[in-house]
Amino acid sequence: MPNNNYDISNSVRDTIYRATIALDGQEWHDWLALCSEDYYYIITSFSPEINKDMIYMEGDLKEMTSIIDLLPKHNTDHSPLRRHTSVYTVDVAEDGKSASAVSSFVVYQNMLDGNNSHIDSGESRLFLVGKYIDDFVIENDQVKFLKREVKLDNRRLDKGSHWPI
Amino acid sequence: MPARNNKQWTADPKLEKGEWIDSRVYSDETIAEEENSKIFKQVWVPVCHESELPEPYDFRTTSIANEPIIITRGPDKVVRAFLNVCPHRGMLIERRPSGSFMEGQPSGNPKRMTCMFHAWQFDMKGNCVYVSREEEGYQDRLCKADVGLRRLRCEVKYGGFVWVNLSDNPSVSLEDWAGKPFECLQKSLDEEPLEVFHYHKAIIDTNYKLWHDTNSEFYHDFMHYHNRVTGFNDSYFARKNEAFDHGHVVVGSFEVNYENYEGFESRAELSFPHLPPNQWYMIDLFPGFNFNLRGSALRTDVVTPLGPNKVMIEFRGLGLKSDSAEDRATRIKHHNSIWGPFGRNLHEDLIGVTGQGTTMREKTDNRRILHGRQENQTIHDENGMRHYYDEWGRWMDRLPSAPDQPYSPPAAAAEAEAAE
Ligand code: FES
Ligand SMILES: [Fe+2]
Repeated sequence: MPNNNYDISNSVRDTIYRATIALDGQEWHDWLALCSEDYYYIITSFSPEINKDMIYMEGDLKEMTSIIDLLPKHNTDHSPLRRHTSVYTVDVAEDGKSASAVSSFVVYQNMLDGNNSHIDSGESRLFLVGKYIDDFVIENDQVKFLKREVKLDNRRLDKGSHWPI
Repeated sequence: MPARNNKQWTADPKLEKGEWIDSRVYSDETIAEEENSKIFKQVWVPVCHESELPEPYDFRTTSIANEPIIITRGPDKVVRAFLNVCPHRGMLIERRPSGSFMEGQPSGNPKRMTCMFHAWQFDMKGNCVYVSREEEGYQDRLCKADVGLRRLRCEVKYGGFVWVNLSDNPSVSLEDWAGKPFECLQKSLDEEPLEVFHYHKAIIDTNYKLWHDTNSEFYHDFMHYHNRVTGFNDSYFARKNEAFDHGHVVVGSFEVNYENYEGFESRAELSFPHLPPNQWYMIDLFPGFNFNLRGSALRTDVVTPLGPNKVMIEFRGLGLKSDSAEDRATRIKHHNSIWGPFGRNLHEDLIGVTGQGTTMREKTDNRRILHGRQENQTIHDENGMRHYYDEWGRWMDRLPSAPDQPYSPPAAAAEAEAAE
């Protein structure tokens, strides 16, 4: 693999991990700063119950920004989410201008609100399992998310979340 | 009133009979078990949508009141329901949530429901068509004809939902049960076939009735920022909460101003057939099934109680089967923005009822739950819940305000008390 691609794939990995940290910290604008103007975000899942591919959430950069800005107006479960991301594969295009990556993730919910916060608080529960399927654009050595598909295995989502995953 | 001591806290509120209930209705284990036999095993349950089993030999599995159920579509296209229980030694016949019997299974042939355990096979009408080593084991004492599946009352109706009743002799026909509340949407739902595009479920620690309560009252729109900014206007507050026989409630329509919430668009163009633009109807069927049409997308909730303080809620989203790919994508987006698991409202509703579940879980002290808002039966009136709990009392033969006593109608109970 040429040096150039090696550097790019390292930057792709780095960008995915930085996104994880921003999302965990609820630093939503830091997360969107890692995304290009043409960014598109989508959460999907396949349901064997209805035998269909489903979309659970989607939005372009403008829509995701508006969702994030309105979050404080909505009630939410307070339990923070912790994502564990492992980048499996990174494929850089030959011209070095784009890349794609597949990562696996699990999300834990660190209980703050529970059935009874006095009892549940402090406990971590497995919340979501899935894969990130990411596309990137590379301009002037800068790697930016172009698209993220969050492919969930879960079809049971108890209190869900307003938050992007 | 300042904060109260225990005697004041547990005293009856200064409201009329029927305007409050006892929290044991939500927390008591005996009551929860009794609800399965006295209510859920007797009523019509919309277990799935016919588009979930579109082809001959397709199936879906589910359950009502702990009894496993299988729905099949026969070669004659007819949808039928059976207990998903093998008559031999009780193995669950089909374990997958959905699929097709067109392909054979390791223990059995195509076009048959096969019990994997000892390979008994059944056709789509529930007839037993194969007993392995039948003559060798049973000689002439028992034959295939004696061991068919248990068939269940099943009808496809009101927008293509599959309704099952565990009782061989339901006290009321599906038509008499749900026909009147569905009148307001019948033309919209039955003009052309619908198709399910969304499924997810939640299993949360609360009583199933608390979820249905939330669906039957709009006072909680104070919790939803989205509904406050898009909905609170004169026609919203004029919406009627109409009560129907059998404990059902319908909340009438009004026009929602989606553009008042940033990033939202009008749903006028993709309104369901015969539905005026941006209208919103809610049908709440006793004891816990909800049909919610916001212009371009239909949402349904089906509850399955799993204990006094645990409920599974299955959520579906539906559009028109004839949708173009583009229209379908827009409907899905509209559906998800409010009702998806990452949408604005559903998450808040689930937090609300889980909080109630915490204070009313098993073995908590009983207290009064107020259902006393009277606002001319309009949207923030609590008449929907009062109507529901009166019906609940009759099915259970328990008084919602004192569940250890037999049922009597609120007016009669008040009169008897006055005469004492
Ligand atoms: S239990 Fe089904 S064949 Fe024996
Ligand atoms: Fe709500």
